This record gives sequence, C-alpha cells and structure tokens, in this order.
Amino acid sequence: MDVALKIWRFDPETGERALKHYNVEAPEWACLLDVLDIVKDQVDGTLGFRKSCRMMICGSCGMRMDGRAILACKERMKPIVERGHVPVISAMGNMPVLKDLVVDMTPFWTKIRRMKPWLDTGYEEIPEREFRHTQEEMNPIHKESLCIMCGCCVSECNSMESDPEFFGPAALAKGFRFVGDPRERAQVERLESYNDEHGIWDCTRCYFCNERCPKGVDPRDAIAKLGAESIKEGIDRDLGAKHAKWFVHSAKTTGWLRETELVPKTQGVVSAIKQTKFAISLAKHGKVPPPVPPHVADRVQEARGLHELVHSQGRAGAAGIVQGEKALSRIEHPSDGDGA
Amino acid sequence: MRVAYYKGCLASLSAKELDTSTQALAPKLGIELDELEAVTCCGAGDIHEAEPDYYLHLNARILAYAEATGANTLMTICNVCTLNLRQANFQLQNDDALRERVSDNLETVGAPRYSGGVEVKHLLWLIADGDGYERLKEVAHKGLKGLRVAPFYGCQILRPSKLLGFEDPDRPWSLEAIIEACGGEPIDYPAKIKCCGFPIIQAREEVALGELIQPIEQSIEAGADVMVTPCPLCHLSLDAWQQKLEASTGKRYQMPILHLSQLIGVAAGLEESELQFKRHVVPVTPVLEKVEAP
Repeated sequence: MDVALKIWRFDPETGERALKHYNVEAPEWACLLDVLDIVKDQVDGTLGFRKSCRMMICGSCGMRMDGRAILACKERMKPIVERGHVPVISAMGNMPVLKDLVVDMTPFWTKIRRMKPWLDTGYEEIPEREFRHTQEEMNPIHKESLCIMCGCCVSECNSMESDPEFFGPAALAKGFRFVGDPRERAQVERLESYNDEHGIWDCTRCYFCNERCPKGVDPRDAIAKLGAESIKEGIDRDLGAKHAKWFVHSAKTTGWLRETELVPKTQGVVSAIKQTKFAISLAKHGKVPPPVPPHVADRVQEARGLHELVHSQGRAGAAGIVQGEKALSRIEHPSDGDGA
Repeated sequence: MRVAYYKGCLASLSAKELDTSTQALAPKLGIELDELEAVTCCGAGDIHEAEPDYYLHLNARILAYAEATGANTLMTICNVCTLNLRQANFQLQNDDALRERVSDNLETVGAPRYSGGVEVKHLLWLIADGDGYERLKEVAHKGLKGLRVAPFYGCQILRPSKLLGFEDPDRPWSLEAIIEACGGEPIDYPAKIKCCGFPIIQAREEVALGELIQPIEQSIEAGADVMVTPCPLCHLSLDAWQQKLEASTGKRYQMPILHLSQLIGVAAGLEESELQFKRHVVPVTPVLEKVEAP
C-alpha cells in the first residue's frame, strides 16, 4: 500500500523545525514504526526516532500521531490509508525535543527514581525460604505493574504543562505499584514522601493519562489510590486532602456539598480571609450561597448510615477502587469469565 | 421522553442558573424531568479519592432512586456527575457480587436496592443527535445570528472514553452540532478538550490558572464572542476565576461563558428569569446585544 505521512522534523544543530511530507510503499500489515523504518531506510537516513522491541513491551517508540501520544509499534497503518488520511507525526509533549521524534526523558527518569522504585521489605537477613503470595494479594497492583514507562501519559498531562515539577502519572503509578505491594513495609514513609507539593494532590483529574496509556495502567486511578491510602493513614496535611475530606464531611452531614465552607476548610481561615475581595465579587452574583440554613438532602440519614456501614466493612483506602476493577475490565474484555 | 433528573450540587448552589435554564428548556425539547429529591452529592473526584467505597455507595444510592422512578435514563448536567455515576454504574452492572453487597447496604439504611437498570446520560448527549437534535432545530427558532461560539467540553465528559464513549474524545463534535443548529458559528481551538483546572483551583491555584489560561486566550485569539460549556465546574472556573487570570496576566479578557442550556435557551427565546445571566461574573450583555441586533 502507498502510505503518506507528515513528520515534524527538528534539527538540533540548526534549531530548524519543519513539517516534511513523505510517501512510501509499505506492506499491508505495516504499523507506524515499520513505515518510519522504511522512510529512514529509503528516503532519509537522518530521521531520528527511538525503537527496540517492536511489540509494545519496551516502551521506546512513544510519539504523537495527530496530536495523540501513541506507541508507533501499536498503530496499524492500513485503516488510516484506507480513510485517505495523512497523519501528522511529532515528538511527545512535556519533554524537550532532542531531535525529530526523540525527546529528552531525563526529567521522566528523575521523577521515577524520586519514587524509590524498589521494594522495601523491612528484613535485613535473607530468609531460608521464599515468601509466598497469592494471586489475590497481588491483584491490587496488577494494572500498575503493566507500565512500560513509554511516557505517553506524561506527554499529555495537563497538570505537568502548568507545573513541570509535578511528579506526573507515570511516576505516581509506579509509586502505587510499591505502596500496594503486599511485601512492602514502608508504605507510610512512601505516602509521606508522595504527599509533596508536586505530588499526589497536584493532579487535575483531566484523565488524559488513562486515555493515552497503551497498556491499560490507568495512572489517574493509581493516583486516586494513593490519595485514598494517604487519607486512610491520616496523612491529610495537603490542601488537596483537606478539600477531599470536606466533600466526605458534607455528604454525611447535609448530603449536598457545603460549598461556601469549602474554602476555609481547604485553605484555612487566614487564607480564606485574604480571599475576601474575590469572595465579595462572587457574592454579588449569587456565587456564594449562604451556609445557613444549610441545603440538606431529603433522607440524608441514609447517607450518614452508609458512611458508618462502609467503615465497618474493611474496604477503606485503595481497596475501594480496586474492588471495581474486575467489572471495569469487562469494557475492554467483555467475554472474559470470572478471572480477575 | 421521561428522565430521572439529577442536578448535582452546583446547580443547586452557586450555579442555580444552570438548573433554571435546564428546567425551562427541557420540556421544549420533549424531555420530561422527574427531579430526584432524596439524593446527595456524587462526591466529585474528591470522595472517590478520599473514601472510594463510600463514593460507590453514594452513587449507587443516586442510581437506585433514579431506577425507582421507573425511568431508564438518569440525566445529568455536569461532567463530573456524569463520570462518577457512569463509573459506579458500570461497576455495579458488571459485578453481581459487588452490586449485591452495595444493595444490601442500601437496604440496611432504608434506601431502595439497585438492580442495574439505569443508563446515565448528559443533557448534551440527549440533544446532540437523534430525536433530541431534530427537536432542537425547531426549538432554536430565534437563532444566534451567526454568533461566534467557542465550545469548551471539559475533561470528564470525554475522558476516559471507555466509560463515557459518546464521541471521539480527541475530535468531539456534539457541541459544534448544537451551536450550528442554534444558528451560531462554532470556533475551533486546540484547548477545547483540555482541563480548566477547577479540581485543584483551591489546593493549587497557580497550577490551575496555568491550565485555565489556555482555553480563555485561545478562544479569544480564534475570534470567539462567547464560550459554552456542558459543565458547571468548568463554568465556575472560566467565569468566576477569569478575574484572577486577568489580575495575574495584567490583560483584560472579559470572555462571557454560557452553560449549554443557556446557549440553547437564548436561541429558543427563554426569559431572563429562566436564563439568569445576572448570576454571571463576566457580563453576558455583549452577547445578548449581538443576538438581539436587528
């Protein structure tokens, strides 16, 4: 088949950036990576891109197609050619471009290392026999263990665009992979460290990471699991944690969000007072509903009762998210049986 | 069609204009609203993150009360409610053991059990195609006189698409179709599918403003007269926090922001008492003048 594509080229020596058009003959089974190989082999040997395994496991060939972060080895070209579409290929976002489709992943690896990506089992001497764990005990970190560190999630992270120091979805998913490991003994120390200004609560919940991840890791869900574990352990100093806790408090007291009290409960009274001018400008337009009398939901005692009940059932923290994953996996694998 | 109507927190509080315009518009579009009274907040992303098992139960309770009305559809008017309820619904519909446990708990506190018989749909989806779209074209008789409208989708009506799934999350079309049906001109700009920053606007204001600036500046650059959004949280961020953006950049934007139901409401000739533009921080007057111009 005749494949047409455009590639954003970048020459680091001249600083020149240009969108170049390519037409090559490729076999019908070709993926984007195959086509890039053909371009490099037959048209322009200076084209720069990373690759290795060609089978979606090494995580080297992350790049963008039509603005979406993808793995080049996962994208079949035939349906694109049949649509008559000419895709635009470019380097991933949120990382500096070194050459053509190659980005500098140094900040990515620095953040992964920041998470201490190794087990802290707490034992000093190696025991005689191995520790045995059931599949069930390992299931909570199944999804996070699938990460191939390709950077597709980081490429599109909206919080990281605004705060480049944000740990980001890949590193935080890696963090939960260790917090949730039944062999790990330093969960609390990890959670303390991940509750950084640029950590868990810096996530804006844009869900680009879940959308882009080519392996089904769902990094945003991993970040929520870290938040849930933090609150379960009483690590709630971050404004994000206080904000989240006020929603729980609202639901079990009045049912509806106690919106006006949210600012002092999140930021503290002193910061809230500093916002007075802003609050007055909103109040003029009815945007600051009076907290008294509170807006109480009908039959709110049911919401209170549920809060007490679920607390007695031992699914606090990340377990509350993990319990839904089997059902959610049916979206992509509807015919699977009861296997987790 | 009759739907169970879940208006969520903001439409009961700081964004009452979203509720009044939805209530006025829905009958014209053939949507009969059965408003849920005995329901609570869906928890936003916050209860899902703080106490996820409680999040599941609160949302199951909303779904159960919706099912008890006999309607097949639970209609939402907020992106965050939509994702929360759809996610919980999918978990409950596809895991019998989980649904039984949650239903037992609901029954224990006196709420109805949930059997999984409700689908959660945002107002946007009910009117972007099919019968709703046909009716919309008739209802929007007054038109928008070619008003240049920048659609702003927000995140949680597009992503994760496996839970939302109404349209391509990277190339959505529903707001554009509605803008055109109302006689407006949809404006295209890259940040229309990105985040407004609202979920972290209190905990990380600077980071949030760094996100908010993109849709505001890009829509102005693209020549928009007004922006429209299907999410009251995006609305609050775009409308109320715009002044903070102006203070931090030293620029003057004054971009009016409409709720989806207000945009259609203008084209359908709803009254100010229903649209309640006085509740907006950025004045909507320039938009109305353009539409009212002879």
